[in-house]
Amino acid sequence: MDSTTNHQVEPPVLAIGETKPHADILPGSIGFSQVRVPWFEKLTIEQRVLAGFSLVFVGILVITAVSYHNTSILLANSRLDGRSHDLLQLLSNIDVAMNEAEDAHRRYLVTGEASYLESYTKVVNQKPAFTTYLRELTRGSTEQEQRVGVLDRMMDKQLSAESKAMALFEKGGFRSVKKMALEGAGRRELGVIHRLITEMDSDERQAMNRRVADSAVGTRNTIVLLGVGAFLQLVLLAWVYYLIRHDITERRRVAGELQRRGELLEAANKELEAFSYSVSHDLRAPLRHIDGYAALLRKSVEESLNEKGARYLQTISDAAKQMGQLIDDLLVFSRMGRQEMLRTSVNLEQLIKSILADLRLDLQGREISWTIAPLPEVKGDPAMMRQVFVNLITNAIKFTGTRSQASIQIGVDRPSSEEIVIFVRDNGVGFDMEYACKLFGVFQRLHRADEFEGTGIGLANVRRIVHRHGGQTWAEGIPDKGATFFISLPTRSSES
Amino acid sequence: MNAAQPILLAEDNPRDAELALAAMEEEHISDKVVLCRDGAEVLDYLYCRGQFKSRLRGNPAVVFLDLKMPKVNGLEVLRTIKADINLRPIPVVMLTSSREERDLAESYALGANAYVVKPVEFHKFLSAVKELGTFWGVINEPPPEGSRSSHPHS
Repeated sequence: MDSTTNHQVEPPVLAIGETKPHADILPGSIGFSQVRVPWFEKLTIEQRVLAGFSLVFVGILVITAVSYHNTSILLANSRLDGRSHDLLQLLSNIDVAMNEAEDAHRRYLVTGEASYLESYTKVVNQKPAFTTYLRELTRGSTEQEQRVGVLDRMMDKQLSAESKAMALFEKGGFRSVKKMALEGAGRRELGVIHRLITEMDSDERQAMNRRVADSAVGTRNTIVLLGVGAFLQLVLLAWVYYLIRHDITERRRVAGELQRRGELLEAANKELEAFSYSVSHDLRAPLRHIDGYAALLRKSVEESLNEKGARYLQTISDAAKQMGQLIDDLLVFSRMGRQEMLRTSVNLEQLIKSILADLRLDLQGREISWTIAPLPEVKGDPAMMRQVFVNLITNAIKFTGTRSQASIQIGVDRPSSEEIVIFVRDNGVGFDMEYACKLFGVFQRLHRADEFEGTGIGLANVRRIVHRHGGQTWAEGIPDKGATFFISLPTRSSES
Repeated sequence: MNAAQPILLAEDNPRDAELALAAMEEEHISDKVVLCRDGAEVLDYLYCRGQFKSRLRGNPAVVFLDLKMPKVNGLEVLRTIKADINLRPIPVVMLTSSREERDLAESYALGANAYVVKPVEFHKFLSAVKELGTFWGVINEPPPEGSRSSHPHS
């Protein structure tokens, strides 16, 4: 309950500098569906777009590969079809030729006319070409090749039987071959040849039909694949487009928001500057008047003023002066927070030397033994760094004021390669570690004003500056023994 | 003559003015001080118009100028003085509460001869005003009147 009320009364100025959580600026909505897949949510927009394009790319590859494969099959089939047509034609030619040979030899046996012998001889001459061509056209199909072997033998048998018959006829005349002339010398072989050719023909036609069916299926598959693939690609591309567009819109919105906040921040800063200007100008005037009129009063009533009255007037003046100092310190503190930071290298050794030289007058009458280790160069704003060490050193001087023999040590420590730690140690009044957390707060003091003077802003300035340099501050102390103040600075400069 | 030339003090706050006059009193130069309550009065004085129509002619020895004043502020007065060929020789000392860098830079850029931050502590304020009054009103030799008469009044 307490926290909710706190939230409500939080001043709007604070909200200006507040950064919203990352997820709020770049919401991880996936858009198309409300289904949220955890691993997908983790992906950045770049990874998502890359995934989308990769899927499209893979899809294109798959479609290309499958299309290529199917088209090659179609091409191979059409080539096979051409061969099958040739084979069918050849088979029919062989059938005719073998019939022709049988007819011609029978007519020759009956008539003895040379023209029939010629027809027969033509078929005999064609036969080797037939065989060669057959083997060529059936290569690759075992069944057909076997049949071609049988067919070849049958054709040889038929032709040689017929040749024998014709040779007999030429020796012994018609009578010796009468039976053969009537029946045909190669009739049996011719029957086998017919049967073989019919088988081959029908086989080849079946193969052709199968291929036609295969091609049809392949073509249909290719078309379906192309259609579905194209659709999927379109969906994927649309998704990627949506992602990119969504991202751009979001970025534009965030950029606008950032600009708006930047303007607000700038306005707030301007206001703050005007405020501190007013503080510096207007708040000082009445203080000057208090002190001034107190002095004038003292002067005009000097004779009749008793000791008590003089002390009252002195208190009025002191209070005014103190408030003037507070205002000045506050202005410095606010300037440290908004002032542009320089980034140069600061030679700490020279810095400390020049600070001690400036403090020379204040140190008169004091006995302080200084131990200053060799100090490195650091990256940072020289004026701000100076402020840090002026505050730490004057503190050490101030709080050893009660020591007859004061000792102040400035040293350096390197706990890691990423940071260096510089410390200022004194043997002064120290402090109770219980209050260590209060040391660096604005206007926080651990000593009464009549013990040690000061406005309580010095260490707050130290912390603010060191934080702006990306470092840390802390302190250790033992009451009445001494205190050590540490600052750490990153060795690589980081922006505040 | 130096002794005759007045010190022009532009101060809108009557207390500051009284304190400054009290300081000048100690140096016995308070009768030389002419007090203006805002920037417009300063310009009236310099150009001899309004309530200063019938004053003795001549430029003041020095102008002590507050930054924050009603009507016409210190920087605007300074700009007018340094832009006028007749008024430009007058020494102008900014006497202000502001130690903002911006004000310092702008004042010097416009040609201010000095810039003094009013100390909060009265005795410091006192000594500052005394020294300023003595230096600019007595020790310093102001520009000769001739530097003005060579250029006719515009």
